[in-house]
Amino acid sequence: MAHIAMFTGFALILMGLYGALTNRNIMRMIVFFTIVNTGINLVLVAVGYLPGRTAPILDDVVPASEAAAKIIDPVPQALVLTAIVIGLGITALMLAYAYKLFELKRTLDISKFRELKW
Amino acid sequence: MVMPSAFLIIAVGLGGAFLLGFLRNEWRATAFAVTVLSLASIILISSMWVWGFAYGEAKPVDFLTAGIAAPFAINLRVGLPEATLVLLVGLTGLFSAIYLKASFERMGKRAMAVLLIDIMALCGIILTRDIFNMFVFFELVVISTGGLILLSEDQRALAAGFKYLIVSQFISLMFLLGTIFIYHSYGTLNIDGMTQTTAALAKGASLGFFLLFIALVTELKPFPANGWALDIYEAAHPAFSAIFSAAVGTAALFAVNKTLQIGGDAWLPVATGIGIVTFVVSNILALQQTNDRRLLGYSSIAQVGLVLVVIGQRDILGDKFMFVAGGILLAHTVAKAGLYWLSGMVSGRELQAWTVLRKNPIMLFAFITFIAMLSGLPPFPGFYAKWELAHALFASGRYGLIAFILFGALVEAGYLFRWFGFIIKREMSEERVVFLVRKVMVVFVTALGGWWLSYIWGGLSSYKNILYNIPFAFALAFMLLEWLPAKVKNTIAIIAMCAYFYISYPSYDPLQLIFGMIILLGGAIVLLASYNWTGRRQGFYTSAMLMYAGLSMLIVSENSFSFFVAWELLTVGSYFLMLRGKNSEPHALSYIVFSLGGAFAILSGFALAAQGIQPFALTGLGQVAQTYAPWVFILLAIGFMTKTAAIGLHIWLPGAHAEAEADVSPMVSGILLKAGLFGLFVLLMNMGKTQLYGIELTHILLWMGALSAFLGNLMAIFQEDAKRLLAYSSIGQMGYALFGLAMMNHLGWLMALLFVINHYIYKSMLFLSVGGIAKRTGTRNMFKMGGLIALMPLSFIAVLVGIIAMSGVPPLSGFGGRWIFYNAIMTVDYRLPIVLIFLSGPIAFLYLFRLIHTIFLGQLKDEHRKLKEVPFWLILPQMLFVIFLLGFAVLPGLALRRVDGYISKFFADGALNWDSSVITSNYGYWNPVAIMIIISVIFVILLAWLVFLNRKAQKVKQFNIVYAAERPYRPETTHYAWNFFASYRKAMGFLVQPIVTNFWNAITGTLHSGADVVRRIYTGNGQTYAYHFLAFVVVVFMLSMGV
Repeated sequence: MAHIAMFTGFALILMGLYGALTNRNIMRMIVFFTIVNTGINLVLVAVGYLPGRTAPILDDVVPASEAAAKIIDPVPQALVLTAIVIGLGITALMLAYAYKLFELKRTLDISKFRELKW
Repeated sequence: MVMPSAFLIIAVGLGGAFLLGFLRNEWRATAFAVTVLSLASIILISSMWVWGFAYGEAKPVDFLTAGIAAPFAINLRVGLPEATLVLLVGLTGLFSAIYLKASFERMGKRAMAVLLIDIMALCGIILTRDIFNMFVFFELVVISTGGLILLSEDQRALAAGFKYLIVSQFISLMFLLGTIFIYHSYGTLNIDGMTQTTAALAKGASLGFFLLFIALVTELKPFPANGWALDIYEAAHPAFSAIFSAAVGTAALFAVNKTLQIGGDAWLPVATGIGIVTFVVSNILALQQTNDRRLLGYSSIAQVGLVLVVIGQRDILGDKFMFVAGGILLAHTVAKAGLYWLSGMVSGRELQAWTVLRKNPIMLFAFITFIAMLSGLPPFPGFYAKWELAHALFASGRYGLIAFILFGALVEAGYLFRWFGFIIKREMSEERVVFLVRKVMVVFVTALGGWWLSYIWGGLSSYKNILYNIPFAFALAFMLLEWLPAKVKNTIAIIAMCAYFYISYPSYDPLQLIFGMIILLGGAIVLLASYNWTGRRQGFYTSAMLMYAGLSMLIVSENSFSFFVAWELLTVGSYFLMLRGKNSEPHALSYIVFSLGGAFAILSGFALAAQGIQPFALTGLGQVAQTYAPWVFILLAIGFMTKTAAIGLHIWLPGAHAEAEADVSPMVSGILLKAGLFGLFVLLMNMGKTQLYGIELTHILLWMGALSAFLGNLMAIFQEDAKRLLAYSSIGQMGYALFGLAMMNHLGWLMALLFVINHYIYKSMLFLSVGGIAKRTGTRNMFKMGGLIALMPLSFIAVLVGIIAMSGVPPLSGFGGRWIFYNAIMTVDYRLPIVLIFLSGPIAFLYLFRLIHTIFLGQLKDEHRKLKEVPFWLILPQMLFVIFLLGFAVLPGLALRRVDGYISKFFADGALNWDSSVITSNYGYWNPVAIMIIISVIFVILLAWLVFLNRKAQKVKQFNIVYAAERPYRPETTHYAWNFFASYRKAMGFLVQPIVTNFWNAITGTLHSGADVVRRIYTGNGQTYAYHFLAFVVVVFMLSMGV
């Protein structure tokens, strides 16, 4: 199970990177970056997964005394939650930039924004 | 003292930003006050900590979230480095905020909130010990940077921001993957937890660390994955660039330093490699920049690379690591932030536009401070850091690395001083500039902060604080006197130099006494000429005093550090002096580059000799291990010969000396060149004869001396410009002195010392006369002069006496030099160099003859008929020199006798016998008084005979000639004094082809054109930059596979 998730995660990352590096359209690049982010999150979860354990919620089923043996590691999941929020922020910022860039030149082709160089 | 919690730093930043959200949009002033107060609180908290660490009993403290110990909670650590860097980040933020006041009031509270978040997040990066927490702070920096870039009015900034976001996506990918792998291997996210369990290097740990490391290193903008950063530097608002360069770079460097604990020392070479490539390449690429902000961007990237190199040397620096890394880092942050703030006050973006700084002395002072800090000149922290770093690297045998570092530093100093030359010398645009008080204060306080850091670093170093050197402090104090009229300043300077000599001379040994007299008293005499200048002469006295301070510190220095400090100070001071000449911009640049290159050779020589032992006494040069000794000798000799302008290293001299002002030429020729000779004295006195693979190195010096004497003189005879002629002749004269020293016998050294004295007198005198004549005639070309003997009799006498003394004919002191010289070479058996030296004697006579013949004899030019004698103040020192030369000719024992005795300490054999007025050597005797009488008698008889013969001669008036009906195309071609030695040029011209000049030009040319090719990899396309990043990752991965 973890291996499938891990594999899918890396596959998504590579697909996303390929797309972001080969598409000149800024919107497409942003979409591909969100795919990369999804892939990363999958990998993060997959690394923290332990087979046969339950969710890290302490209740009647999982008393605190037995928690260490029964639950999966909560840290990667916390990381994923944070990473998702941050990813959202960055994506929003990139979209705002895309809008501004389009306003500036009426194009979304990244190779048209090359005044700054050398 | 109770220390505030580190969480307050984060809370204040966040709280301020939140509070801004509640304010009404119109309350701009309130919003600005909130921003400033929040930043001030961060500064207050961190400075309390810094104070506590420095003067109190504060100990590093971990602050824990949620009251649970790490690794189950995040901990923030405050130690001295953290507190200092947070303070630095906070100050940068506050100053930028003040600088940005107008923009903020236009854009409103949101922009201010973003700035607060940015600063808070940077503090968080520095404080946190948890890698995922660090990731969050980094992402906050990315988002706030994305916002702050838009502060710029430059529309191109938008594209730059997007390129940055693309790269930051890649960075966060690496960061997150690295984090999770590390967590998987170590079971913790806490940096300290990982270092404690390094044994648990499970699979994936190394890959995890690589990913984390590469993500953090990319934040440092390493070559070539840094195109995005350059674009930001070029287009962003300068106040943001200041933060981006100073604060972001600092935080990221500290993060790298922290996390390297996880990977361990095995990763240090990787950091070193990335750092050094970035440092050298970025500096070379900066050579071709014409846009000021992009140039500063390249320089920023380079400096951060250098700090990364220092981090990579953590293993050998030991407890000096903080001192070195901090010195370079603080110098960089202060200088770069200051320069970016300055750039906001200059409206044009080309480097020449910065000439407007000339309108405001405070801004000029700040600029000089900043480039001196970046170039690692004393007394700034970077200087101490450079010194310690070089010693550590040489002691552990990392020669290649230090060579690259010094090369990169030289290139950097080259373009920074070239820029300074533009500012001082280029034509100023007429455009009116407004220097806002608020912005000026920000820059000025930053510059003062740089000086304050110098004071701190001087106190931290194991040596005497450079600022405590009385001559140096005096020179600096002269800056405060700039408002006084030149004549008052001149009087103060002369009195000070004489007084300092009076105080110091009892402690001088005979060698120091000779040099001390020339520097301090001789300098005072030359300064008499400066009374001729009116007005305020801004900058002249500070520069001159700086040079004399360096010189007077040089001769009394006992260890390698104080020697090197003095060397750098005199170099900088003389550079400022030379730059004052009307057309001296390129020549002064060439001087400073050669001198700094030479200084690096000296630094290397000392560091190699010291082998980590500090302080290293100069006398310790005698005990250097046999394996290093020849290399130490070579490095030091090269360094000193850049100052004496030995052939091959001479190309800076003619222009620098010839283009300098009339009273500066004698200073930099007559006095400054002696610094190199003093260095050679010290070198040979302590190391003596040294062999490299059986080759006697003093023998090579002997050849250098002979060639310099021969070629220097030969080049001098073909000059049309009188000052250039004198300048080339200095190369020859220094060659003689070098030759004398390298003979390594008693008389050779005595002759070298005699040359030290003689060259000072006659070269100062000749430069003054020729300079004065050039002032009167308005030209330095000799063929445009002639017949001035009647109009300028005193100048004529000075030049006549000067060339008699210099050519070595009896009866003046030059003959004494010759006599000792001929005695000296009787004892050695180097045939060929001696032939060269002999040949250069008559050659010298050719140009000296031309000097007097062309300027004073022949026909007077029509336009010169109404000229007057050279001004009194220029004549006065010349007449003093004439009197001195005559006196010295009769009584040479006055000075030489004691020196002769002193040299006997090193070479007992061959001392002269000073018996009453007769001086006896093994080969003959010299009676100066008798010679003076005989020559005078012969002269009077001949003169009388000439007058008698000429009694019936008919005077030919000037225009009593007939032309052949042709009008010459270029009138000077018909002048007898033009191309005076054409026939010699036919015979020997091939020897003076500018081979050396071409050689050095080829090197700089290659660097420039190489830079122009390489910088084209920065195509401006954000996607290309992403490819650069991937290529960078792959290459570093391949190279670090072994780790």
